[in-house]
Amino acid sequence: MQRSVSSLSLSPSVKVKLVNAGFQFTADLLHVKPLQLSKETSLSQLEALEVLQAVRGETGGGDNGAGGGGGGGGASSSLTALELLQKEEELRSIVTFSSQLDAALGGGLPVGKTTEICGAPGVGKTQLCLQLAVDVQVPQCFGGVGGQVVYIDTEGSFLLQRVVDIATAAVQHCSLLVEDDEQQVAMATFTVETILSNTFLVRCHDYVELLAELHLLPDFLSNHPKVRLLVIDSVAFPFRQHFDDLSQRTRLLNGLAQQLISMATSHKIAVLMTNQMTTRLRGGQSQQVPALGESWGHAATIRLLLHWAGPQRLANVFKSPNHMGATVRYQITSEGFRDVDQSEQPPSKRARKHTVQMAAAREPSET
Amino acid sequence: MDQLELNPRIIAAVSRAHLKSAREVLCVSGSDLQRVTGLSSSDVQQLLIAAATSCRRHHPIAALVLHRKFDAGLRLSVGCPVLNQLLRGGLLVGGVTELSGESGAGKTQLALQLCLSVQYPTQYGGLHSGAVYICTEDSFPIKRLQQLITDQSLLRSDVPPSLISSLQFSDRIYIEHVADLDSLQVCLSRRVPLLLTRGLVRLLVVDSLAALFRSEFQAADWLERSKQLLTFSSTLHHLSSRFTTPVLCINQVTDFLSSSDDSLGPLSSSVSPALGLLWANQVMVRLMMRRLQVTVAQGDQSSVLRRLEVVFAPHLARSGRDAAVEGEGVLTSV
Repeated sequence: MQRSVSSLSLSPSVKVKLVNAGFQFTADLLHVKPLQLSKETSLSQLEALEVLQAVRGETGGGDNGAGGGGGGGGASSSLTALELLQKEEELRSIVTFSSQLDAALGGGLPVGKTTEICGAPGVGKTQLCLQLAVDVQVPQCFGGVGGQVVYIDTEGSFLLQRVVDIATAAVQHCSLLVEDDEQQVAMATFTVETILSNTFLVRCHDYVELLAELHLLPDFLSNHPKVRLLVIDSVAFPFRQHFDDLSQRTRLLNGLAQQLISMATSHKIAVLMTNQMTTRLRGGQSQQVPALGESWGHAATIRLLLHWAGPQRLANVFKSPNHMGATVRYQITSEGFRDVDQSEQPPSKRARKHTVQMAAAREPSET
Repeated sequence: MDQLELNPRIIAAVSRAHLKSAREVLCVSGSDLQRVTGLSSSDVQQLLIAAATSCRRHHPIAALVLHRKFDAGLRLSVGCPVLNQLLRGGLLVGGVTELSGESGAGKTQLALQLCLSVQYPTQYGGLHSGAVYICTEDSFPIKRLQQLITDQSLLRSDVPPSLISSLQFSDRIYIEHVADLDSLQVCLSRRVPLLLTRGLVRLLVVDSLAALFRSEFQAADWLERSKQLLTFSSTLHHLSSRFTTPVLCINQVTDFLSSSDDSLGPLSSSVSPALGLLWANQVMVRLMMRRLQVTVAQGDQSSVLRRLEVVFAPHLARSGRDAAVEGEGVLTSV
């Protein structure tokens, strides 16, 4: 099968020049020298060299099959769909402490993909991010991924007081599950202190700092191969400051989305980002929709919407390539993001049971 | 731009494209950069990395390092131990805290109390500095402030009386009256940063903001209002993070429209903070104060009991505490 030149990852102007000079397929470029190519297509020598490197990268790889692959940088080989499936299955999802949410996500937060959480202020987006930042560190012998996390905080809501709550509860939960020696040994490396030391925090104060951090992140990830989760809380906040040119914002967001997807796949990390809600007027009716515009909707593979239904908190998976949209109930306790028990007990009593160390005078955590 | 460690050829291409700083370079998307500078993609990559390195303020840092810093978990005490417990220590020193409620609920009372509590040393929950109080509506309640100052030793039994009497409270509260958005912006961009830079204040109170943003705009001007609100919020956030200073915004409430979305939380009251979702997204800690139906008697005076509630906060449970507004301040008698 001939591979057409327009499918290579080159800039559009270069592709146009190639096609205009008569180079339709990569096969046409196989035996051309850079100087010759640059003369015929009026590309600069450097561009011609890049084109040829891209072509050689594509054809030098494995067998051609239905699988895509090999896009980024042009130097990787093609993969079959079967190989891709096997690779995906090797990557464990990040299990939360909420089994219902894990089920809705198909096993947990998927590694190698981008996930977005949308919701109104106060519904629990940051709580879920903090929970996952701890959950990613759960040792493998407990069913976790045993990885580190990079947490990009743009709002200042990464509060150590809360992280310590969640970490303490996670450590306690795991220590109650210990059954064998391997798990006992693993608990020595899973303490509140180690959880904090494996969480890398970056505070970005505006969108330029965020963009800068994302350009430098691939390098950081290469130096820290144990990172399995990248959290950005939130993407919306810095980008919803006033932009004079909204199309510039869209282009920057598109570039950011591409970077995140490429980081997720090449470094095998799960990318989790939060978004705000905005009201949109449609023919007299106002509706709440995720912020950052329509095209941003394509940035994440999976989108989760957290919202209130009366006094209940609901999580709805409204975009997912694998699973049908599912809605689950959740609650935020002093220990973190949790399922709502099916029992008849009101949440307040349950929270009290778990948190025996808390002072007796403390009021119930959920009203 | 010249300070970046790059091949001069790349720097020349960048200046030909009229990009003057690393920040400007980062604001242009990758493919646009290639087009505008005519550089190859690997050159553009180098350029972006160099620009990013110069714009980056801090490297990723392990949370444990922050946890061990002496001022980790710094809070501004509210002056009452029960209310502090509700807030797990007090106001956050970074980020915007909103206090909303109906008129007469006690918001200004609590704000005044904070202006005094900030002046104590950190061991007593203060920040050892003054406060700037921006009034947008009524004139500043100076008499009430004097009364609170006189009765401080009643409220703050945890502080030695000698320390209380040595503090010149009224000297360190800077009062600004602003009547419209323009003067608010001037105040926030000139006078407040000056006070902050000089270390004279470490608390910023805006009382109240709905007054400014509601009266100036008709419904049709919502685009302009949104822009102004975002600019204002951005200024507050920058001041707060740059000077690690708590910002308290007092807000009014509007009636909760039953037909609108359940968006902002379960209905615990029939009113919700003004300025809608756009402003709610900018707030890190949202508190509400309500008047209850119960009165509490003290001596021959009786006043209506209030309730301070946490609507949302990253580190606080949704909860509340009853409090009374006494002569010496807002407190919960245990």
